Amino acid sequence: MNLILEKHALPDLLQSWRGNYDVYLPQKMERFSHFMPLTDNSVLVTHEPHNTRISPKALFLPMTEALVKFTRFGGYEDAQQVIQPRIIFAIRPCDAQAVQLLDTSFIQEAYTDPLWLERREKTITVGLGCHEPCQTGFCTTVGYGPFNKADLDVLLTDMGDAYLVETLSKAGEDCFQGLPCASDEFVEQALIVQRNAHDQMPVAFETENLKEKLEQNFNSDYWETVSQSCLGCGVCTFLCPTCFCFDIVDETQRRERVRNWDTCMFRTYSLEASGHNPRPSKVERTRQRLSHKFVYWLDQVNQIGCTGCGRCVRYCPVGLDIRAMLRQAQTLPFEVSHAG
Amino acid sequence: MPDLDAIKTEVRRLLADGVVEVVVAFKPGDTPLHPQPAFFHSPEEVDSLVHNGLCQNNLATFLTHLPKTKKVGMVVRGCENRSVNALIVEKQKSRENLYLLGVPCEGIIDWRKIVEHVGEAVLAVHENSDEVTVETREGQFNLSRNELLHASCLRCAHRNPISADILIGEPLPEGDPNLARVAVEEFESLTNEERYAWFQKEAERCIRCYACREACPMCYCTECFVDHIEPRWTESGATPAGMQGWHIVRAFHQTGRCTDCGACERACPMDIKMTYLTEKLNNDMRKKYAFEVGLDIQTQPPFATVTLDDKNRFSV
Repeated sequence: MNLILEKHALPDLLQSWRGNYDVYLPQKMERFSHFMPLTDNSVLVTHEPHNTRISPKALFLPMTEALVKFTRFGGYEDAQQVIQPRIIFAIRPCDAQAVQLLDTSFIQEAYTDPLWLERREKTITVGLGCHEPCQTGFCTTVGYGPFNKADLDVLLTDMGDAYLVETLSKAGEDCFQGLPCASDEFVEQALIVQRNAHDQMPVAFETENLKEKLEQNFNSDYWETVSQSCLGCGVCTFLCPTCFCFDIVDETQRRERVRNWDTCMFRTYSLEASGHNPRPSKVERTRQRLSHKFVYWLDQVNQIGCTGCGRCVRYCPVGLDIRAMLRQAQTLPFEVSHAG
Repeated sequence: MPDLDAIKTEVRRLLADGVVEVVVAFKPGDTPLHPQPAFFHSPEEVDSLVHNGLCQNNLATFLTHLPKTKKVGMVVRGCENRSVNALIVEKQKSRENLYLLGVPCEGIIDWRKIVEHVGEAVLAVHENSDEVTVETREGQFNLSRNELLHASCLRCAHRNPISADILIGEPLPEGDPNLARVAVEEFESLTNEERYAWFQKEAERCIRCYACREACPMCYCTECFVDHIEPRWTESGATPAGMQGWHIVRAFHQTGRCTDCGACERACPMDIKMTYLTEKLNNDMRKKYAFEVGLDIQTQPPFATVTLDDKNRFSV
C-alpha cells in the first residue's frame, strides 16, 4: 500500500507506537547520529550527509552481551535477556540489507542463534530511502540501491514536506494504519526521486570476476601494497554492518560468560594457544577482511558480503578506501575458470 | 604553507642516493579529505607525495611497523619529530637509521568539521595560513582555518621539528606553552563528581576498536594489557568498567611519553576526547619534573628512571 505521511504528523505517530513497542531512531550523540530509544524529548536526525556512525546491527548483535551467568557451586543459568517488541525507524536500506545477509550466518539449519532469532522476530523495520545518497556509499555497485527494499516492513521516501509510505508487510501496514492513500501522481513523483538517487551513484568498482581475481592472487604482492598503511585497528569491521565476528569470554569477576564483538583485523583474533598465528601480519588480516566479503560470502551464500554503506571508507583513520583497493584488485591478472 | 616541490625534491634525492630505503610520508586518498600514509621506495613514486593540513596521522607510529635496522626517511612535523625522539629514547629505533625531513606545521584540520560545514561532496581543498577553501558541487566555501583545527593543534607549543636532518621551509613562530596548561586547568577546576561524569560520558562511547592505540606512536607493545588473558587486567567487553579501564590505563601508560599530537582523538570513530587525560599527565610531568618528552634523544621519562639518590623513592 502507498500512503502519505505529513512530516509534522511524524512525532505523534512515533509516540503512539511507544505503548506497544520499544522505538529506536537515529538521534544526535555528540557530533554524529546514533540509534537510541525514543523518549519524550527525542529528536529524529535524518539530515546528515550520511548514515549513523554505528550500524543498527548493534541492535541485533550488541557489542557486549551476557549469555550465561555462573552461579555458586559450579552451576549456571541463562542470562535471561528481555527482548521487547520493537520498531527500528529510519533504518537505511544498506543496513537493513546487511541484517538480512547476517541471517544466513545466525539462522541456519544446523544451528540458530536464539538471541538473534528472537530479536529478528520481534523487530519491525521502517526504512528511510536515501534521496540524497552519500558520497562514500556504493550500494548500487554491490547490487543494491538507495531504495532497496530487502528486509524492510515499510519504505519511506522523503518528498519534502511528506513521506511516501510503502508498506511491504502486514506488520508494517498495521503501524501506519489510518494514513491517507497516496495519489498515483505522488507515487510517480516518488519513483522519480528514487530513480534520480539511484542514477546519481557512480560505479565505484567493477564486481565482474572480482572474486576470481582475489582468489587467484591470494599470494600476490597486491595484499602487501594495500595493507601497508593499515594501522590494524577495528574501525572498519566494528562499524561495518555485515561484520559479525564475536569472541566469547568468561568474565569471572562478573560471573558471566559474555559475547563481545571481535575482528579479524586484530592480532589476537587468529592467535592460537600455542603462540602460532596463521595470520601473523596486517597483510594476511587485510586479505581476510576483503576476501571474506568478496570471495567467501559468495562461496557460501552466493552474495557479496558488503552492502556499500561506506562507513569503512569514511572512518578509516588512515584513509584506506575499500573502493580504491578493489579497483586496484581489478587490475590483477586472472584466468577464466571453465570448470562446471 | 609547506613547499611541496622542495619536499619532493629532497625525498627523491634521499631515495636516488640510497640515503634511505624507504620514505614515510603521505599520498592523496580517494577523496581530498583523507590523505593516506604512504611508503615511497623509489624516486619515480614520489610524484604523488602530498603534505597538507588534512594529513591527520602521526607518521612516527609506522616506525615500529618497519624493521629496526631499515634506513627510514620520514617527513615530520613538530609532534612527529618529538614522537620519533621518544621512540629513540625507548630504543625502538636508532638515530643513524633515520633521516628526518622536517616541515613546520600550522596545525591539522579536522575533516569532520569540514563535512559538518559543507557536506561530503568535497571535490578539492585549498588552504593557506588563515583560510581553508573547499570546493564542492554546490560551490566554493571559505572557512577559517583556526576554527577547523584539532584541539591539540590549537594548543601546540612545538610547531617546528626540533631535530630534523633538514628543515624544509622557514620556521614558524612557536605556540604559547601556557595554552596547554589552560586546557588542563579547565578540567582541574571541576569538582570530583563533575570530572568523573565527564570521564564516564567520554569513555562510555568507546567501542573497543583500539584505533587510538594503533594510531599512537608510543603504543607499540607486542601485547597490550587489554589483550592479556591471564591475569585479565580489565574487563574485555564494551561495559562501563571495561571502557573506563581501557581509557584510564591507556592514559597512564603514556605518562611522560605523550607528545600531545592528538592522533588518538583523530583516529577515534566515536569522537571520544582523550587528550584531556594525557595532557593532565603531561602537565604533571612538566610541573613536578620539569620534563617534556621528545626534546632530545637521551633523557628518559621520569617514570622510566630510578636512581639510588632519588629523594622520595616510590612517591611523587
